[in-house]
Amino acid sequence: MSEAAVAHDAPTSTGIDHKKLIMWLFLGSDCMFFGTLISTHLLYRKLYPSGFTDAAGHQQFIQKLFNIELTSFSTFILLMSSFLMALAVSAMHKGQIKSFRRNVLGVIIFGLIFLGCQVFEFTHFYHEGLTIQNSVLGSTFYVLTGTHGTHVAIGVLWLTLMYFYSFTGKLGGHMGALDVEVAGLYWHFVDIVWIIIFTVVYLVEYLGPAGIWGTGLPVVTQ
Amino acid sequence: MSSSPEAAPSADFLAEEARRYHHFITLALWLAVITGAEIVLIFLPVPPAVVLTVLSLMSAGKFFAVILWFMHLIYDKRLLLWLFVTALALTFATFAALLALFSVDRIDTRWLS
Repeated sequence: MSEAAVAHDAPTSTGIDHKKLIMWLFLGSDCMFFGTLISTHLLYRKLYPSGFTDAAGHQQFIQKLFNIELTSFSTFILLMSSFLMALAVSAMHKGQIKSFRRNVLGVIIFGLIFLGCQVFEFTHFYHEGLTIQNSVLGSTFYVLTGTHGTHVAIGVLWLTLMYFYSFTGKLGGHMGALDVEVAGLYWHFVDIVWIIIFTVVYLVEYLGPAGIWGTGLPVVTQ
Repeated sequence: MSSSPEAAPSADFLAEEARRYHHFITLALWLAVITGAEIVLIFLPVPPAVVLTVLSLMSAGKFFAVILWFMHLIYDKRLLLWLFVTALALTFATFAALLALFSVDRIDTRWLS
């Protein structure tokens, strides 16, 4: 740890600001929450490799439904929003409020683009016959990605409030920078969760001619 | 959100922030490159097991890069790092336990029908 960082240590028993410590504890618990959702999705993908049945009664494979270009684009957008968030936190630490506003506005816009892509994807999947009710795949997929999307939406709302609050002149100094840093931690966490979801939910479906989960022959036996 | 009258950041602190700024830009570029490589990789005629291993390593790399640099864990107190590593360990333990409990080879699948 650098001398400069030590100079800003909080006067607490741990030397860490309580808000930051609480946020890290929350992120740790959220990590376990997403861990169980991802585990559930993977387990049921293995148990039900055949995908889902559309409205016409035809068996469909999820990899035919995925639009990897769109998902890659939204992944890139979320990664770059994380970069802008890091710059926004840095700007607040330096007391550069205008730079903070510019960067955080970029994060909000990128977050909204990501949410727009997710809404488009969900609508497309729904019209193709994948619903939350008609298959185990639909249930685990929508719950996992929907929970992540909710986290993104909360982050966008939080940052939007912070953006407008900065115009009151009350968001400044060490405590203001700490508030922004805590919001930044949340946003980066949303990003790292998506890094995992992008690989284990989307990319692995493209491995091999019939996907990583095999030929689609039913595993369930009487 | 709150305010307090604070002294201006020290020169050392500003120099440290400037150094971090360059780290952030470098990391953002690497994240974009790795994500691009992941997408190319899935369409290459390589055995799925190899691709899966490389994808896992790339994702883990991106995951830890964001945690360490963007989330400042590399600059912050070690306690925060251990806190998050503990949570990650619990997550992987839960994942391993679920895999063991619900392995397709072991589970009585009659209830699924």
